[in-house]
Amino acid sequence: MNVKNLRTTVLLAAVALLIPVIAGFGEAVAAGQTAAQQPPGPATGNAASGKNLYYAQGCYGCHGFNGETGTRLIGSPSRNLTSEPGFIAFLRLRADQAPLLPATRMPNYPENSLSDRQARDIYAYIRSFKSTTPELKDIPALNLIIEAAKKPYTP
Amino acid sequence: MAKPKKNSSTRRGFLKGAAAGVAAGAAALVTDISIAEAQQGAARTEAAPIVVPPPMQAQIDRDAGNVRPPAAARAVKNPGSDLMVQVLRDLGVEFVASNPGSSFEGVQESIINYGNPPNVNPEFITALHEMSAVDMAHGYGKAEGKPMVAMLHGTLGIQNAAMAIYQAYYDRTPMVLLVGRDEGFIQAHTAHDMAAMCRSFTKWDATGKTLVESLAAIQRAYAEAMAPPQGPTLVVLDMEHQKEEVQGVRVPAYRPPQITGLDATRVRAIAKGLIDAQNPRIAVGRLRTHQGVKLAVELAESVGATTTTAATNGPMSFPQRHPLCGPGASTTYDFVLGLEAPGAQYSLTGPGLATLLSRDTMQVGFGGIAPPPPGATGRAAAGRGNAGANDIEIDAEASLKGIIEEVALQLTADKRRVIGERAAKHAAANQEARMKALNDAVQVRRNGWNGSPIATARIYAELWPLIMNEDWCLASPTGFSGGHNAALWDHNKPYSYLGSQGAAGMGYGLGASVGAALAAKVRGRIVINIQCDGDFNYSPGAIWTAAHHRLPMLTIMHNNRAWHQEFMFVEYMTGVRGRGTDRGHIGTTLRDPDIDYAKLAQGYGMAAEGPITDPSKLLAALKRGVDSVKRGAPYLIDVITQPR
Repeated sequence: MNVKNLRTTVLLAAVALLIPVIAGFGEAVAAGQTAAQQPPGPATGNAASGKNLYYAQGCYGCHGFNGETGTRLIGSPSRNLTSEPGFIAFLRLRADQAPLLPATRMPNYPENSLSDRQARDIYAYIRSFKSTTPELKDIPALNLIIEAAKKPYTP
Repeated sequence: MAKPKKNSSTRRGFLKGAAAGVAAGAAALVTDISIAEAQQGAARTEAAPIVVPPPMQAQIDRDAGNVRPPAAARAVKNPGSDLMVQVLRDLGVEFVASNPGSSFEGVQESIINYGNPPNVNPEFITALHEMSAVDMAHGYGKAEGKPMVAMLHGTLGIQNAAMAIYQAYYDRTPMVLLVGRDEGFIQAHTAHDMAAMCRSFTKWDATGKTLVESLAAIQRAYAEAMAPPQGPTLVVLDMEHQKEEVQGVRVPAYRPPQITGLDATRVRAIAKGLIDAQNPRIAVGRLRTHQGVKLAVELAESVGATTTTAATNGPMSFPQRHPLCGPGASTTYDFVLGLEAPGAQYSLTGPGLATLLSRDTMQVGFGGIAPPPPGATGRAAAGRGNAGANDIEIDAEASLKGIIEEVALQLTADKRRVIGERAAKHAAANQEARMKALNDAVQVRRNGWNGSPIATARIYAELWPLIMNEDWCLASPTGFSGGHNAALWDHNKPYSYLGSQGAAGMGYGLGASVGAALAAKVRGRIVINIQCDGDFNYSPGAIWTAAHHRLPMLTIMHNNRAWHQEFMFVEYMTGVRGRGTDRGHIGTTLRDPDIDYAKLAQGYGMAAEGPITDPSKLLAALKRGVDSVKRGAPYLIDVITQPR
């Protein structure tokens, strides 16, 4: 029987703590730059191949199938996504660092498990993501929720 | 009373006869074919499927308890099990969930036939697995704050139920387990000390040596389950006592638990502290009953204190949208009272599971309950308990009435005026804080709104407007589906959200939701079950129970085709070891083939639809589901979701 323990719940919280840690690695790669300041560089990989890899390597597990849920890639302020070399360097740098810092949840990707070509393909696929997020005014359910909350409390 | 000798060969003979009877019954249904044709078996069946006719009106009337069978002479007129059922009735037990077993056939027969008209309260709830039966009692217990009964068949039933009992124990949820024992039948199903199999994770148990002792044990089991720390209790019911002819036995008087509240000195001190404070606050954790929640509200209102709540984590806490719930007009609090929660001045915290350590006779040493082992370091030394200097081990709920009465005595007209003004300021500030938090929350929940697979946030957001004006209960844990209810929904009832599994064990959600739906059905509520697919597959038979008993339960599958938390654990581990993440799905995902939950539910007799992958089709499906459960018909919607 697959009986889980409390670790499951605790690590859910740990996942939420990852984002600043990952961002910290990004700083080592692209010190002094921010995603907003740096226009994205070209993506040279094959996005179609990258789509398959994104699924096969389990990237969707944390970043969602569209890069919009979980630890988001669309609209992410992370510097690790601003250039293809920076992205690959991030994956490799983590290969050196993560074993020493297992509190981070992002897996590491040494070259023997994910080639540069494959990393470029994944990067190209990530860069192809299109937002499916509407404006708030265009989502009736969320507006209904806000309007309802304005009403007085009734026991 | 001397035990009549039981002849096991007679029992075997009965079984043999019963088997023959079943065969005869089946043949009787096939009235239009000859015996020779019937003997052709499968070949005949393929040629012309045998259709069991629908029940006749007479049978429907019998099932509804409207008509007694003609019984000129009865072998046993007053079986002991009738009194057992009477005890359950007197205690107000509404449901007994069970998977049938020979060791409690006496009790089962009494539950369905005792009295005139035949008993329907407690109602016998058919479970397809003992784990489901206990999970049902778990969900019911958290929703109502009182025990439901799960009945288990001897050694087998206890072992099938063990993990569910364990979770209820960790979750401090009241329930009564009745276990049948029949020493004269299958030996592998009985034991000298049946309760020992789960003694270390039940609160109390007993095996009556006589019928009267058994009756008293049921009553005490109920009382012990209700007293803090609440938890599962267990009574072994011997077959002899179930079947014996009762002569001059009276049901003992029930003595409800006497739960001690705070002493008068400290009651006065707390009341004075709350009244004299410029900005008092009450931190509210998980209380025991609906009445406890009502009293907490009364206390906060009487002193104009702001409160915290645990209502977004589980049941029996302060109403989330109450005007006093929130940070208030000022966060500089000069007196904080904790009710089953930490407080700066006083924390009233009832006895925890560590007070039951003496029952761990096998010295299992369950984590978080038992003290750390000698010499433990690091995580192993974390152990139990985080009691503060001001903690008082006393049940908060039992203390509330005294504090409220003392506050009323100490309050002056001038104080009441000040409190009224303060409460109004807090209410305005809390509403402002609420709206700010909600506006921030909806911005985040837009992300991936129109994506496919469907974002989990969209399920919660689309569903909430459909149920916000209903009396609803969210019975399933929501941690693995994003927990968006905490930010978007209002948890204002003691049963709004029933919280997590108890021990983070899988297989709980469906059964617990069925239990909550049992409570809901007789109270005009609807139950929402946002059901993780991995969790579903431990005990899918609970779907049939919901369909069979026409329970108002809407199940929405969070179908990410994985035990996704485990998938992420393994992905991480493969990455740490530098061996590639591409095989992390092995053993953690549920694909190839994909499971069709709508078909599965339909196969169990529940209306269902899906899989839904197009987010634009979600709202209409949810409307159909809510309409269905409002009519009392359970419904399942299979939604293919983002992983989180």
